Amino acid sequence: MNPRVRKRLWVIATYVVLSFFAFIYLVPFIRSFIASFMTWEQASAYPPQWIPNPFTLINYVKLFRLELFPRWILNTAIYAGIIVAGNIVLTSMAGYAFARLSFPGRDALFSALLALLMVPAFITLVPNYIIIYRLGLIDNILGLALLGIANVSSIFLMRQYFLSLPQEVFDAARLDGCGPVKAYFYIALPLAKPALGAVAVYQFLGAWNAFLGPLIFLRSPENFTLPVGLSFAFARTMWTEYTPIIAGSLVAAAPTILLFIVLNKYLIRGIAITAGKG
Amino acid sequence: MARVLLKNVTKRFGSVVAVDNVRLEVKDKEFMVLLGPSGCGKSTTLRLIAGLETPDEGEIWIGDRIVNEVDPTERNVAMVFQSYALYPHMTVYQNIEFPLKMARVPKHERHRRVIEVARFLGIEDLLNRYPRQLSGGQQQRVALARAIVREPEVFLLDEPLSNLDAKLRIRMRFELRKLLHDELKVTTIYVTHDQVEAMTMADRIAVMNKGRIQQVGSPREVFEKPQNLFVAGFIGVPPMNFLEGTLVEVEGRIKLDLGEYQIEVPSNYWSILKNHVGRTIVMGVRPQDVYISIKPVKGWYKAIIVGYEPLGTETYIHFTIDKKKDYIAIAKDVDTIRLGMEVYWHPNPNRLYFFDKNTGKALY
Repeated sequence: MNPRVRKRLWVIATYVVLSFFAFIYLVPFIRSFIASFMTWEQASAYPPQWIPNPFTLINYVKLFRLELFPRWILNTAIYAGIIVAGNIVLTSMAGYAFARLSFPGRDALFSALLALLMVPAFITLVPNYIIIYRLGLIDNILGLALLGIANVSSIFLMRQYFLSLPQEVFDAARLDGCGPVKAYFYIALPLAKPALGAVAVYQFLGAWNAFLGPLIFLRSPENFTLPVGLSFAFARTMWTEYTPIIAGSLVAAAPTILLFIVLNKYLIRGIAITAGKG
Repeated sequence: MARVLLKNVTKRFGSVVAVDNVRLEVKDKEFMVLLGPSGCGKSTTLRLIAGLETPDEGEIWIGDRIVNEVDPTERNVAMVFQSYALYPHMTVYQNIEFPLKMARVPKHERHRRVIEVARFLGIEDLLNRYPRQLSGGQQQRVALARAIVREPEVFLLDEPLSNLDAKLRIRMRFELRKLLHDELKVTTIYVTHDQVEAMTMADRIAVMNKGRIQQVGSPREVFEKPQNLFVAGFIGVPPMNFLEGTLVEVEGRIKLDLGEYQIEVPSNYWSILKNHVGRTIVMGVRPQDVYISIKPVKGWYKAIIVGYEPLGTETYIHFTIDKKKDYIAIAKDVDTIRLGMEVYWHPNPNRLYFFDKNTGKALY
């Protein structure tokens, strides 16, 4: 077989496989999109139907009629904002310290920190609840945000990134008159933009879609974030009306999808950074 | 301007002694080259002077103060790194300005000095570019500019030419020396593993090996009068030939017994060597001082050609006398040389070196 044909066949095969998996990942999304224009009766019918009949905007109408809907979006934005800001500030500092400063117990401390990645979130749920309760921050977006303000994997990502920067640049800065703090602000931070971008995107996605934390730490409907608020609004005593929730999820997902389209190179770079030298 | 003095400085990394009891004085305005193979401690020595490392023992003096405890920023030294270490997120202007900014020099003064230095180094057209948009040679100039702009008392350069291509290296070698030594007249300590750089640039060379200073002297001195086997073997291209043998006295004449045959030691060395008769001695002769003949000459020694490398103006001839070790001679006219050919060689009797086998020290 001539190499050009073989190459073309290889490309076609690659596309077929990738399209297949992409399709599998996309089906729930496509289904949600279609179902958001159906009545609940039609959407829950078996076998599943794929064409909205009648085509209805009632789910979106119900959604936007909810008095608290804008409030939930605002809450979610505040929550995600605090998480992103906190992670950028705190984890870049921690990562810098672990990568560039030498202090007693640094490596042991870092190992201990990494060990936290092995602890399932459910185990810390109750202790965290007690801490937040004692602080009087239950049912408060701030209290909830406090729990995610510095993420271990973000620290790890920042540390790896700072390690990958050449030592000589920091030596040069030292001779040019930068102590550790100035070197952080003038050299490390400006050079860390790709890693900071990755941290921001990951944390934003996590915070925007968070369900379990907000469900447990928030009580009053006006303090809910969007995912919790939606499930609360359309839960009836015996059943849940899913189609408005689906519509709400699509609306809620819009910013994250937009973010992904704009910032996907940072996401990919984030993966590349963590996969780099260890 | 300042002299730099290292008094018995030692630096260890774990169990490795990187710098071992080094004593070195660099005079005011002197161009000192630290020369040695990689891992010999020369870069660590430089970093100790810069303050990027702290010595475990000894004192480091810059000017008239001990700087062991002085922060790198306060030492008034500037360093140019092998990779240039330019700040990638800053323009050339910002790179040069940075040390002044950190020193809180007023803005208009900073501007004046950046422009002045850029003009001096011929990089004023590059001021708005980023380091990634510059060639190696241009990056090097920016690194120099950033070092010069602070008007330091001591310049430290860590292999600054090794990332440049061969042609540019030769030009920059000349320019650097002219700039630092002849124009700025600053005390300069320059680290390199390239002996040609060392020979062409230095006022004095400090040859280092295994963390220790082997010899300090002018380029001529270290070439002409190496103090030990290491210096003799390290300085000079191609390296010096070493012939090991026992010193014997035969009928009132001193000879070096190589096993295969005995080499007559010229009488001008007898006074130095007569106390070493019976001991193992290493005789050194530079390839430039080995004569080769394809016809037998009286008093010359037999050898077999094992290889030759024509370099245009001259040819490196590899020959052996015992089929174990080979030696190098430089010859000009060698059209008739063939592999495996029997030839005759003779060292220049006035340019021999003798070393004690055990201590490695030169016998003068």
